[in-house]
Amino acid sequence: MRRKLMNCFIFIIIAVMCVNMSGCIFNKKSEKASADQQPLVINLEGGDWGYPTPYGHYQRGPGIFKMQLLFDSLLQRGEEGLIPWLAEQWEVSSDGKEYTFTLREDVKWHDGQNLTAEDVKFSFSYFAVHPPVFDKLQEGKGNLVAAIEVVDEHTVKIVVETANATVLERLGAMRIIPEHIWAKVDDPKKFNTPEAVIGCGPYVLKAYDREQGAYRFEAFSDYWGPQPRVDVIQFVPVSDGILAFDQGEIDLTSVSPDLLAKYEDKKEFALKRNPAFWGYRLIFNMEKRPEFKEKSLRQAIAYAVDQDELVEKVARGAARPASAGYLPVDHIWFNHEAKQYGYYPERAKELLEGKEYAFTLLTGNNNAELRIAELLKISLGTVGLKVQVKSVDMKTRDAAVKNKEYEMVLYGHGGWGNDADLLRSLYAREEGVGCSPSADGIPGYTNVRINELCQRQLREMNPERRKELVMELQAVIAEEIPQLPLYNTTGYIVYRPEKYDGWRYMFDHHEVTHNKLSYLEFK
Amino acid sequence: MSQGLSRKIIEYALTFLVIVSMNFFLPRLMPGDPFTFLSTEEGSITIIYTKEQIDRYKAYYGLDQPLLRQYVTYLACLGRGDLGYSIYFNETVGRIILNRIPWTLTISIIALVLGGLGGTLLGSLSAWRRNESMDQGLYLIMIVCSEIPTFLVGVFLLFFVAARLRWFPLAGGITPFANFKTGFARFNDLAAHAFLPIMTLSVTRLADFYLLARNTIINVLTKDFMRTAQAKGLRKRRLLFRHALKNALAPVVTRAFLSLSTVFNGAILVENVFNYPGVGRLLREAVIVRDYPLIQGVFLFMTVTVLIMNLLAEVVYKQLDPRVN
Repeated sequence: MRRKLMNCFIFIIIAVMCVNMSGCIFNKKSEKASADQQPLVINLEGGDWGYPTPYGHYQRGPGIFKMQLLFDSLLQRGEEGLIPWLAEQWEVSSDGKEYTFTLREDVKWHDGQNLTAEDVKFSFSYFAVHPPVFDKLQEGKGNLVAAIEVVDEHTVKIVVETANATVLERLGAMRIIPEHIWAKVDDPKKFNTPEAVIGCGPYVLKAYDREQGAYRFEAFSDYWGPQPRVDVIQFVPVSDGILAFDQGEIDLTSVSPDLLAKYEDKKEFALKRNPAFWGYRLIFNMEKRPEFKEKSLRQAIAYAVDQDELVEKVARGAARPASAGYLPVDHIWFNHEAKQYGYYPERAKELLEGKEYAFTLLTGNNNAELRIAELLKISLGTVGLKVQVKSVDMKTRDAAVKNKEYEMVLYGHGGWGNDADLLRSLYAREEGVGCSPSADGIPGYTNVRINELCQRQLREMNPERRKELVMELQAVIAEEIPQLPLYNTTGYIVYRPEKYDGWRYMFDHHEVTHNKLSYLEFK
Repeated sequence: MSQGLSRKIIEYALTFLVIVSMNFFLPRLMPGDPFTFLSTEEGSITIIYTKEQIDRYKAYYGLDQPLLRQYVTYLACLGRGDLGYSIYFNETVGRIILNRIPWTLTISIIALVLGGLGGTLLGSLSAWRRNESMDQGLYLIMIVCSEIPTFLVGVFLLFFVAARLRWFPLAGGITPFANFKTGFARFNDLAAHAFLPIMTLSVTRLADFYLLARNTIINVLTKDFMRTAQAKGLRKRRLLFRHALKNALAPVVTRAFLSLSTVFNGAILVENVFNYPGVGRLLREAVIVRDYPLIQGVFLFMTVTVLIMNLLAEVVYKQLDPRVN
């Protein structure tokens, strides 16, 4: 009896293995069949980024942009700046407090209903009560919007409390949600029915599998705007991007500089170098170590750090040395003339006048950060600055930054291409306004000139004059160097142009797949 | 007997309570919170919440309450079978875990059975032919296998068997968006995706069981009753499987039950290599984003599984070895 059972079991195992093998052959056949289909299907690397509603997606980039495929906003970020989108035109009152948007008349929701000014009013009012994940309306403890008025069916006027230069971009970035669906929703975080993904964007969500990290978006046939060039966008699970790309499972992937040669000068592949909007920086905590208040010490560190070496050795050439004035070289308002330090250890030694210091450098635990930290330790060591590297996991480091529990911290993040007002949150000290780590400047540092320029650029409504102020601000920051931007990454992507070549960047962001315009017929 | 049983129940209940409490407090003692994201992986971006936004979310999820009150609320909810609501995934923890359990359990149990049976069988043969070339060869291979980290085996299989030979899919648990015409086709697809993760997990299990079975049987073979059986002129196969293996089975079976927790650990790595949608990958994500309710939920699931396995091991051990009271 037992022997029979054993035999049975062995048979089952062999049968399962055979089934596996046949399963693979079967899969390949079905793949071939689907390749002959007409609609253009683009496959991209998946992963679970949440249910793509304004409340359901996760905080990261891929979550935000998937939601934005379904939901349109009043304005869109184009290749050079903001472009009209749901609002075909807008007017700003002379005091900068009233924004009147004229909406397109032919906009439909995915369920066939028309989008009206009431929906816009509803969206902003709803966001004030229930802030979405991607919320640009928050201002201090309140909301940017003071009042909102429907002028007629396609015109809406938004009044803000205080005028500032970022209002238009912030209002324009908010998604518009349908009143007839969301009006009855009390807890939007838990609203995850199929109705919740009805938007007015160019794509409709057809499938979402949280466990697999798979999404399927299909073009919305009644879309008001530029017609989708890609009929279906699929996000599929991927273990290794390059392997999946080589096998044709995905149509675009990022490629490390060491693998570039594999795709260079080959007709079937095209490469793009991303703009430098992601970077590493070194922050000095002047509360913990008041020595950093000495400009000469900060400048000495800037001279002692070899940015080119970091770019070469850590980023393998796929980066640009960061600007001492912070805004990266690809930023629309980058100041070419701001002071750049370069690698001059002798000048560093002169500035230090023989003094020696010892600091702890806190960093994360990924390879790049550890390498940067070790290289910094060596180069700062040669000028008499002794650095001890302390590596912790990302969340622990974030907590330390938030609580200002570090002497020097190295960390990397995106968003370097955003509106220049980011300089205010990074460098200015504004008592009583905002307390999040990146909103109250450098711990222990305050500079009257920087604070003043930050405020002036924020209040300046004329873009040309504002640009001049931002240029000046970068020059002052570069001279003061309250923190040290290290380098901005410029990763590469590879794709097959014969299948699809519409990939393009937004003026302030480094991911082509995150750009709605990449999938549309838009000139 | 009943006294022993009640003592056992109290023991298990206490263990459970201690672990549940640790599951609650440990994640909260880690630096960081579920809402503060400042840095990101290279190339990715994150939304940075202001202090006001973080306070609002903390209040929404009840994290602004004193820790002890949160703990009591957690225990009360747990008593009702409510595992809470995931902060990061926007879904009930119960449903998230339930959707992932079948994936992890399937690959873990099949790997355990395959590794356990294969290892025991090879271990028996090796012990029987001790010091012969087959034994020496197998022993060397298995020692090497037992030392190779699981993820390395996974990466090797991924690159050569899946990518180079293209025998199996590269990632995931099922072909996304596929419309399977028959249940059989669906099963095929699931099996093809599960094959490499199972193989990866099996390899280290196989070596583990091989070494245990080999040692135990070598020990059993020196016993007097084996000499008697041999003297009776029994056939080799009967000697090995009926007399030797049966007596060596108790530690092997116990190991099988107890090693489920080790298999879970292996599953975390394997699921990450193959992007397989199991609980292991979920746990990694939950810890990275400090999703307290989800971390608690996943650890609770693992705890309960391991406790049940312990209990089963005790019961089965008693059955296999009547000397144990």
